[in-house]
Amino acid sequence: MEVAQHPTTTGTLPTILCCQCATPITPNPSNTCPSCLASTADVTRGISTEATLHQCRGCQRWHCEAGKWIGCDLESRELMTLCLNNVSGLKQKRKDGSGGGRVRLVDAAWVWTEPHSMRLKIRLTIQREVVTGTILQQSFLVIFIVRNQQCIECQAAFRQGSWKSLVQVRQRVGHKRTFLYLEQLILKHGAHRGCLSIETFRDGMDFYFPDKGKAARFISFLEDVVPMKVKSSKKLIGTDDKSNVSNYKYTNLVEICTLCKDDLLFLPKKLARTIGNISRLVLVKNISNVIQVIDPLTGQTANIESDAYWRETFRPIITAARTRLTRFVVLGKEPVFLERNHSKKAVGKKQRSKLASVTAARECDLGLNDSQMEERSHLGYLMKSGDVCVGYDLTEAQLVDDEAEELRTSGKLPDFVFVRKLYGGVASGESDAAKKRMFKLQRLDVKKGEEESGRKKKKDKDADMENVDEEDFMQELEADKEMRTRVNIYKSGVAKGGDNDEDDNDDDDDQKITLDELLDNLVLDSKPDDADMGDDEEIEGQAVFITDGERAAKDNIGYVGREDALHVASKDTAVPVAGNSWGKKFMDDL
Amino acid sequence: MATRASFENTNEIGVFASLTNSYCLTGINRSENFYSVFESQLSQHIPVIHATVAGCRFVGRTTVGNRRGLLVPSTATDVELAHLRNSLPDSVVVQRIEERLSALGNVVACNDHVALVHPDVDRETEDVIGDVLGVEVFRQIVGGQALVGSYCKFTNMGGMVHPRTTVEDIEELSSLLQVPLVAGTVNRGSDVLGGGLIVNDWSAFVGLDTTSTEISVIENIFRLSGGQGNQMGQQSNIVTNMRSSLIDQLS
Repeated sequence: MEVAQHPTTTGTLPTILCCQCATPITPNPSNTCPSCLASTADVTRGISTEATLHQCRGCQRWHCEAGKWIGCDLESRELMTLCLNNVSGLKQKRKDGSGGGRVRLVDAAWVWTEPHSMRLKIRLTIQREVVTGTILQQSFLVIFIVRNQQCIECQAAFRQGSWKSLVQVRQRVGHKRTFLYLEQLILKHGAHRGCLSIETFRDGMDFYFPDKGKAARFISFLEDVVPMKVKSSKKLIGTDDKSNVSNYKYTNLVEICTLCKDDLLFLPKKLARTIGNISRLVLVKNISNVIQVIDPLTGQTANIESDAYWRETFRPIITAARTRLTRFVVLGKEPVFLERNHSKKAVGKKQRSKLASVTAARECDLGLNDSQMEERSHLGYLMKSGDVCVGYDLTEAQLVDDEAEELRTSGKLPDFVFVRKLYGGVASGESDAAKKRMFKLQRLDVKKGEEESGRKKKKDKDADMENVDEEDFMQELEADKEMRTRVNIYKSGVAKGGDNDEDDNDDDDDQKITLDELLDNLVLDSKPDDADMGDDEEIEGQAVFITDGERAAKDNIGYVGREDALHVASKDTAVPVAGNSWGKKFMDDL
Repeated sequence: MATRASFENTNEIGVFASLTNSYCLTGINRSENFYSVFESQLSQHIPVIHATVAGCRFVGRTTVGNRRGLLVPSTATDVELAHLRNSLPDSVVVQRIEERLSALGNVVACNDHVALVHPDVDRETEDVIGDVLGVEVFRQIVGGQALVGSYCKFTNMGGMVHPRTTVEDIEELSSLLQVPLVAGTVNRGSDVLGGGLIVNDWSAFVGLDTTSTEISVIENIFRLSGGQGNQMGQQSNIVTNMRSSLIDQLS
């Protein structure tokens, strides 16, 4: 049975009298003239015109609901969403049909407010069906009072000893390069999210977390990027026997393996045999969750699994610190093609073609004597005469391993092992090479641990050592393309376009850093990584001046400027809206 | 004279009562207020009867009738039918109809001469309406609404139709019904005339929300504004006799 049919629109509609003031009108759904309607119906009934928002003064984030805090800019779309959620009466009540819902929000615009007034104003335009089929539209102002409230993260940060779980990351080596690399990985993956504070110590870092889960997440991140083992312990803080609840503080000691990139290893015989019968003298090529080693003389590579390492730990014979590296100047090279040895694990074709026999002399010997050495190197393909590279000079080194030392003295080890080629200003020995580097890195916001803030003299020495480590790390990055893909590197002020000063015939050199690898959005003026501490939301620096309404325009939201804001009435008169088709239910489309 | 009334706080009094020139039915209320409104106005002239149909009190929508007869839907029980036959004057024929659209008050609008019916009612029903009520039956829609009983109301004096009925349709209906028609509203702008308005040739009852403007329109078109009964009778006579010539002049 058809109850409501659409009217035949052909033909002229009769004139009827407004049911209240007897003015002749054409029939409309309420059969009332507009002025009578507007005078009787208050569209904004049941909608609050004042509400409170809470903002954390520490991190400038807004409280959204149930203890959740979100960061959003003034005039932004997100903040508008937050505001609209706080206007009671706007949303349709769900289950019980009661409640003056049934309101359609047509427009919402920001209204200028004095920045220090702690008020936000928005102008809402809503439509409501006052009588069946009659829709009135009205604009009104809603004022939000901004109150300060500290968010949970900020509370935790200000409170002493609020951490629940501590992750102590340690590596027992004499340098910090692993941690510099780890820092970059953490930054790239945002693994420090939820971390309360970070402290550095002599041989490691401490990460404090507000709960166990965040620490566990961080540890599982570490598991993926470095070979490590973890030891957990907990300390009872308090217990409630009646409700069977205990409060613990958890400490996780994460020990990272002592091998680092570019360390020279003398593998235990058994291990060397199990990982593809590789030569025992190898270089560490790369550290991820496995240790990747390369034989510098043949280019053969192998992986040492994390648990294989921890089953039988060993130390490098030379660790790659700057003090142990010698600078060499390449005098010439000769490509080498290995014959295929079927009894050995095959050296990859690519690796084989990279191999070259390099003739080099120590940089310090140049001009003094004529001593030259010739040796195969897996980096041979990068070299050309005149290049500067660093490596281990085994003729002069003293090795810690007895067996290796014996071999060395009997001359069975190579004379030198190249570690990496040097690029840019570092190669030519410029004193300000570090400053001229075209990339730079983001840093974590770390505190110095108590041990480190000790005596002044020691502190100075430590700072020096740290600078050396940092420079080493930068050089490592510069010479390793694969490593660069795993971290975020940013353009520094030095980087300019068309800076190919020495790229004449270096087609083979695929490891050199290029400009298009660099990201360009690191804000250099801001403090290291401060915004990222508590949350992943970036908060724009306060120093950036944004003109009123600019952000609103960007987000496609209306904005009532300072001059016009004076003339905005708190409530406009309601006007009937045309275009509601007869028989169609209001808000059917929702 | 139109009287405002309400049934238990609702303005749709047409749902709970039906009125013709020879009797009035009202639904059973908890209090007698609603009944007594009708009683005070009508009991001198015609019987005012409490009634139910199928145990329900919305008699205004389920029944339809005029001076000559009363039609009730098939859901009405024998007891109710017997009660109606006992209470109504002997001249009024009470008839039960087997019709799918059982809300007869919504699908039929009639006066003593003509009836408009919903386009979908059975042919047999149409015949029964014609026979029992002694009227000419037309299948019609009013203002795009098929429920003619809900959206128009007319007596021998005049009629009111849904406000969105076009001028052309009003003219056509008016020549069909041979009474003057006007588009109008009751209950402060409501277009459900059958729900808000109960009317016969000399009295009218409207929902409590009806404004004075609406009442004046109703009194004018239904010719209720005259003072005395016999005056009205005279006027009514004139209208009855001269109706066709008047309408010819008007149109």
